[in-house]
Amino acid sequence: MSSAARSRAGAAVAVSGAGVVSPIGNDLAAFDDAIFAGCSAVRAHALDLPGIELPAVPVAAAHFDAASVIAPSRVPLDRGTAMALVAADDAARQAGLGAGSFDAERLGIFWGSGMAGATTFELTCRSLYAEQRRMRPTSVVTTMPNAPVAEIALRFGARGAALAYACACASSAVAIGEAMRAIRAGWIDVAIAGGSESLLTPGVLASWQAMRVLTPLAAGADREASAQRACRPFAADRAGFALGEAAAAFVIESTEHARARAATTRFELAGYATNCDGVHITNPDAGGQARAMRAALGDAGMAPSAIGYLNAHGTATMAGDATEAESIASVFGAHGVPVSSTKAIHGHLLGAGGAIELLAASRALAARRLPPTGNVERADPAFALDLVLGHARSSAGLEAVMSNSFAFGGTNAVLVATQPRR
Amino acid sequence: MNSLTFDAIAAVLVEQFKVEASAVGPHVALDQLGLDSLALMEFVFAVEDRFDVRIPESRLDPRQAGVTLEQLASLLDEAIAAKASRDVVGG
Repeated sequence: MSSAARSRAGAAVAVSGAGVVSPIGNDLAAFDDAIFAGCSAVRAHALDLPGIELPAVPVAAAHFDAASVIAPSRVPLDRGTAMALVAADDAARQAGLGAGSFDAERLGIFWGSGMAGATTFELTCRSLYAEQRRMRPTSVVTTMPNAPVAEIALRFGARGAALAYACACASSAVAIGEAMRAIRAGWIDVAIAGGSESLLTPGVLASWQAMRVLTPLAAGADREASAQRACRPFAADRAGFALGEAAAAFVIESTEHARARAATTRFELAGYATNCDGVHITNPDAGGQARAMRAALGDAGMAPSAIGYLNAHGTATMAGDATEAESIASVFGAHGVPVSSTKAIHGHLLGAGGAIELLAASRALAARRLPPTGNVERADPAFALDLVLGHARSSAGLEAVMSNSFAFGGTNAVLVATQPRR
Repeated sequence: MNSLTFDAIAAVLVEQFKVEASAVGPHVALDQLGLDSLALMEFVFAVEDRFDVRIPESRLDPRQAGVTLEQLASLLDEAIAAKASRDVVGG
């Protein structure tokens, strides 16, 4: 890449609304309370697999009634798609994005999910094999990976774009970044972008357990306490993560579009970069991560010192955190930026993770407070990280934040958000 | 047509598919219910499940114009009778 291309910063875009369904709350006030308190929503979850004995797993479930959500298509909704619709509705409501306030041909939906439809597919296959119940005429459209984006597009009558991104744990960060690019390029004026994931079903959970990335739980009476503390990002005794389910959506638009419809800008997206490690299917690569962080800074036209908070990918695996601690230090210097991982409290949200963690970073911006890394008292002494621990840290001069998402498959995605310009 | 069969069909339409009760009658055609082709297929699955029978695909394509709820009820009655005789024979 030429240095000219690397240093060329793009225009910032406005974020005028956000919506969330998550283990730590289904509105912004509850979400804020949880991230600043660092209270874990992870609980022990038994695997319902007849004839197979497997240990319980740590899980962060959302308090969410999917049956109350009516699909615009009127077909049955996967639980993750129902979450996506509610998050998108809430984001549009906060943004005041009602009918008549936008040109439908200039509205795009950009959505990330690692395995959208997995819950319904597993449950329907289970009843097909175990109970000889047939698949339904709507099985395909309920379980297709672009079901969430399709339902959101129907809800808002979007005619500009409806694009689904499946790049594992980076899916929704990529969706948000690609929406930003489409707006910058002038292809659309406004986007609803984010991600959803709900795959807390026995087959999917057992798959992750088999990979040995879920924290093993203590037996007996200590099981529940060990589940709550299951995810300890960047701690020396970290032992893996907990899977969670969530959706988060943002209304993103050009600053001109936001101004023209008198929308309030909550924060701005100033930089985005995605790249690929290109070295291993699961092992992270510090070089690839550092290149992505530097590219996002370049896209925002910022020096590393401008970033006042970094919401790390921070999965709490031995290898993952060590690699990310190395890549962060290589970009920001030793102890160069306050870092936390909110995965400790909301679990690993897979395709929804990038969107939820951008939300956490943007709430830090709004409150000028940095969320702590739950469950962790001391950072692994091997890491040169300024890890926010214990209580939320006030950050009066906070102007810009970064959110990292690093996926199986090697996809890295980094977003930079800033305070709205006055 | 057995009126109990028709009533069960009407209940499925109103409760599961949110069709107005006033829009449901024996001579109403499937394509007049305001349901798209996918929803019509789901509707036929739902009434089959209700009676635990299957209407052979060769006897019914719900997308075919003009098939009425009365005809659907009669096809269900046939399937119910066939199942009953199978159950007796099979013991």
